[in-house]
Amino acid sequence: MNQQNILKGPAGLGLLVLSAIVLVASFGYAFMSLSSQGHASFNTSSTLPWGQPIATYLYFALASSGLGMIASLPLVFGFKQFYPVVKRAIFLAFVILISGMAVLAMELGHVFRMIWVIPFNLQIQSAMFWMGVFYVADLIFLLWKLQKLENGEWDSKTSKQVGIGSFLAVLLASGNLALIFGMMSMRPFWFDGLLPIYFYLTAVASGLAALVFFTYLANGFSRDNMSASLQGLLDGALPKFFAAVLGGTLLFIAVRAITGLYTNNPEIYVVWRDYLFASSTYQASLWIGIVLPFVLMMMASVRTSTGTQVLVSILVFAGLFAERFFFVVGGQVVPLFKGTWEWSLIQYTPSATEWSLTLMGSALLFTLYVLGERMLNLSAEPPVTVGQASTSGGVAAHA
Amino acid sequence: MAKWGMVIDLDKCTGCQACTTACAMENNTLPGESWQDVLYYHEGTYPSAQMKWLPRPCMQCENPSCVHVCPTRATYKDMDAGGIVFVDWDKCIGCKYCMIACPYGVRFYADEKPLLEPDLREIFPSSNGQLWSPPYQNPEQDWKRGIGIQPPGVVSKCTFCYHKVSKAPAGTVDLDEDIAEVKEYVPACVRTCPPKARFFGDLDQPTSQVNQLIGDKHGVRLKDHTGNKPQVYYLGAGAGVPAFEPKPRS
Ligand code: SF4
Ligand code: SF4
Repeated sequence: MNQQNILKGPAGLGLLVLSAIVLVASFGYAFMSLSSQGHASFNTSSTLPWGQPIATYLYFALASSGLGMIASLPLVFGFKQFYPVVKRAIFLAFVILISGMAVLAMELGHVFRMIWVIPFNLQIQSAMFWMGVFYVADLIFLLWKLQKLENGEWDSKTSKQVGIGSFLAVLLASGNLALIFGMMSMRPFWFDGLLPIYFYLTAVASGLAALVFFTYLANGFSRDNMSASLQGLLDGALPKFFAAVLGGTLLFIAVRAITGLYTNNPEIYVVWRDYLFASSTYQASLWIGIVLPFVLMMMASVRTSTGTQVLVSILVFAGLFAERFFFVVGGQVVPLFKGTWEWSLIQYTPSATEWSLTLMGSALLFTLYVLGERMLNLSAEPPVTVGQASTSGGVAAHA
Repeated sequence: MAKWGMVIDLDKCTGCQACTTACAMENNTLPGESWQDVLYYHEGTYPSAQMKWLPRPCMQCENPSCVHVCPTRATYKDMDAGGIVFVDWDKCIGCKYCMIACPYGVRFYADEKPLLEPDLREIFPSSNGQLWSPPYQNPEQDWKRGIGIQPPGVVSKCTFCYHKVSKAPAGTVDLDEDIAEVKEYVPACVRTCPPKARFFGDLDQPTSQVNQLIGDKHGVRLKDHTGNKPQVYYLGAGAGVPAFEPKPRS
């Protein structure tokens, strides 16, 4: 076993410098256009107020929640074979959430005002108020959990309690985030009491994609650099779990699409027919970004290979990003109240500034992540799993 | 305190947009920031196709979904101001959740691409923290109620011309432009309406003109299934919004 983390070496330094440059450039561009043109530099409008920056935030926030849930598998539910990825999952959850929040901050009209008006006005009727509360709680728990693992407390009573607290915070945060959309009866495309379940599933799917990709990245895309227990996980439970989660996601998309297309309500079926399914980007993201990865993960002969797993993680990354985009925009493309006054769906393509925010979030994620890999030992595992895995030569799947 | 309500008689409305213009002049709104607008619809097909139109201010809902979702209480319903729904521009963070939640599409984030060129914001650049500063503007400003020209990054909407209405003598029941003493306090859209299709008054007073019109002429509220319960009522045939129908595909 030749355990190495390539990000601790010159490759990591290179990636760090590169992501920092992209971060500075994209932030600079977004900042300049926002300060010269304000939000007129976005292609959103009063009829379609939430665009790609919101979709990006949603994507990051949910990927973070998904990683938090994955970390709970060993820490709360005792699926010990996930121990080899737990520390990286928690750290990634933390930095992805920070990156998402940074994108959201650039999207809001008055971000600094938020810091005092929300706590001082306590509008508990608003799901967005609770989004703030739950995601802050989530961030604190993630940090606390990370600190416990840094101290080598994998199994102590308090680390269990922190793990349970963190799991609850993640469920509340992402479930409530779903309800921000799901409770809007005036937006029938979103209105759905089961939306939290859909968000949980897709959150875990995007979390797994991030985890697989970054784990391989840290190990130079080579299994030889990984511990035996990590190899065992990648050969056993993880791909099966990935397949199950992608299957659940597909099932959810299918039932939403079927009910959506079946209904007579134009605010739902027109969105599915003329916006989602009419778009080749949506079709590609669905078939190549979700269906194909599902099929690959179902095939026992290929799902364990490095190439397949890295490919699937990248495809799911892109597929779910598009899924979030079409979800957010799809809820708004039918002009409200305009009835037959409008002939067509509202057109929206993100502007360069909006793209720069997406890029900024991603670059921030990479920068913080590489810093984390270099400064912390994210591959740490409790000593006992290393021993177990090397004696048993892999762990049975519990997905 | 009164509960201010508006009645719009569609049998009288000619769709002339005088209300829209008066509102834009009174409140210095930008093109596209139509706190008051008239929307035109077609319904049905030949030989029974109809053309119809609907003036649409903020409905000042009794149960306003925009207020429920606002995380900062920037949007609030002021029962001491006749139940008008205001936006406090000192509290709004520009999250735009209220715009998602309003079923009537009457909230505006003017910090967006201009509807028309040249961009008025460039011609009259901002001063005093306003998004734009035209040389002639209504002197009435009250950022706690979203009155005046907004700063950047906040949401604006119809205020039922609270800066006028609030000056009406206490106990006023009907704010009708034909009553000389209260003429100045009538909302701009109501006062300007040439065929007198709009009425304004106290919904809490059984004898008010608005209540009598609603009762006698079968007033309805639009999109009542949303449960928002507007304080704006419509009279006359055709008070309804035809469903969205995409252009037939060629
Ligand atoms: S019409 Fe819209 S903006 Fe006006 S009070 Fe009702 S929900 Fe709020
Ligand atoms: S945009 Fe302003 S008024 Fe609207 S919900 Fe957000 S904080 Fe409230």
